[in-house]
Amino acid sequence: MTELLIQHRNIAATLALVAALSLAMAMSLALGTVSVPLDGLWDALTGQGNAMHRFVVQELRLPRVLAGALTGAAFALAGCLMQTVARNRLATPGIIGIDNAATAFAVASVVGTGISLAPSAMALGGAATATALAFGLAGANGTRGYRFIIAGLGIGAIAGAVTQVMLSRVAIDAANAAFPWTVGSLNARSATAVSVLAAGLVAGWMAALLLGRSLNTLQFSDPVAINLGTRLKRVRALSLACAVLLTGLAVAVAGPVGMVALLAPELARALCRSGRVPLTASALAGAGFMVTADLVGRLLLAPLELPVGLITAIVGAPYLIWILVKPSSRSLT
Amino acid sequence: MSHSSARTPDNVPDQPGLAAQALSLAHGRYPVIKTLNLELPQGKVTAIVGPNGCGKSTLLNGLARVHVPAGGAVLLNGRDIHTLPSREVARQLALLPQDNTAPEGLTVTDLIRFGRQPHQGFLRRWTEQDQAILEQALAAADLAELADRPLDTLSGGQRQRAWIAMSIAQQTPLLLLDEPTSALDLGHQIEVFELIRQLAGQGKTVAMVVHDLVSACRYADHLVAMADGEILARGAPSDILDPDLIHRLYGVHCDILQDPADGTPVLVNLRKSF
Repeated sequence: MTELLIQHRNIAATLALVAALSLAMAMSLALGTVSVPLDGLWDALTGQGNAMHRFVVQELRLPRVLAGALTGAAFALAGCLMQTVARNRLATPGIIGIDNAATAFAVASVVGTGISLAPSAMALGGAATATALAFGLAGANGTRGYRFIIAGLGIGAIAGAVTQVMLSRVAIDAANAAFPWTVGSLNARSATAVSVLAAGLVAGWMAALLLGRSLNTLQFSDPVAINLGTRLKRVRALSLACAVLLTGLAVAVAGPVGMVALLAPELARALCRSGRVPLTASALAGAGFMVTADLVGRLLLAPLELPVGLITAIVGAPYLIWILVKPSSRSLT
Repeated sequence: MSHSSARTPDNVPDQPGLAAQALSLAHGRYPVIKTLNLELPQGKVTAIVGPNGCGKSTLLNGLARVHVPAGGAVLLNGRDIHTLPSREVARQLALLPQDNTAPEGLTVTDLIRFGRQPHQGFLRRWTEQDQAILEQALAAADLAELADRPLDTLSGGQRQRAWIAMSIAQQTPLLLLDEPTSALDLGHQIEVFELIRQLAGQGKTVAMVVHDLVSACRYADHLVAMADGEILARGAPSDILDPDLIHRLYGVHCDILQDPADGTPVLVNLRKSF
């Protein structure tokens, strides 16, 4: 009986998140400087009705909404994986410095060579470098506790500084070309990077699901996880590799969008039953959060557009403070 | 990892059960256990006792493959435990470590379900058999009424029983418990020890680290007394326990009486010096 209820709670949470994401996507497609009525939206999507609406929805908004959903899901899934592996809710790609390093590498490719090397590859390289450094500096069992986070904070700070130096040293045109990378925005996305991200997200999500059972045991101490037959090193390495892939590819699309990786898994955890790492729910929550934040950023001061990273930070910072002061935030330490 | 079973001597061929062979364990550069030999008697309760920092817990964790040996090997059914697939070991041996934390909101049932994980494959879902074993484990640990309660709302004794129930659900012939009664009051201690005796009665081989020497003598068939990473004495409690051993273990003097009810050794007149 309880078994059924528990299953139902997870299914209900997932369905609710799917519904929320769909609603956010529909609103994002419909609203803006040209508002499309909801009944016209379906026509526009299927290539019928008002030509103006068709253009706005299909050409302008749909790619942006898809990019938002994909990056949100990738950041959130990466965050959920890293939080689980490090056993710390602060251990998300943004805080470990993976975002910043990916950005630094991508900016280096733009300003350094003049011709833009494949930014996805560069961002991925940066993400991998930062993770390897944080892992190495924190020692063999690096993912444990705060050592990993502190090492990551340092790496993130250095990467951020390097980005600033590069931007201030180059000609203004190159700096302008690289600037969108540093703020976290869905404005400058490239179609190639989005398709690469889509493929990476599918791969990363499948891999995460395969690791799911082992990841569940990481909620306990190392001896308990080992006792249950989990191969710790392998699970950690594969999970980190997934997180690096997802973060690198997402940064290549949207730049370093903070807080999604921190907030979405929290929301997913609150909705789902405890005892399981909410991988899919985190991804859905991240996608919904990112699409909503981008919509808010477009509408708030319209026609002026606020970068999505700004909105996620404005929503995220108070939330971060709230988890710190909330009485039952035991797993933070 | 380099200590393959091929290198172990011939006098321990496919021996069932768990044994340490010239086992050395270290925390980083600091050696804790030095070339120790130990065999857990089958179907018996073995208590490992000794002063703080003597390596009891390290030994238990080493036996459960949590630490990679610095030398020697742990043999499970005659084979080096580190060469066996971890999930296969998890079906043979259950470890209940000392420091147990669980995610917030995890219920008793959720926890016990994890005990079935080593028996499940990637596609093998929860079966009726798993459910039956879950219910048995709940009943054995007297937790049926608390099945849906989150662990963080339970008392220390109830929580410890839930962890033991998880080990029971793992259905392993070997059970290693690290201070299963620490932080429990007298009533709960006895409850847990009697549950352990009951499990041994069903044929399980149990090894437990116990702080309280009197409880160790009362509930164990076999006593292993350790100091400074080495075994000072081993055998039936009433055979090996004498004032001299107590002094060598803990540096205190005492007299030993026998409990009139069951003949268990009882320590009296404890003092630091004569």
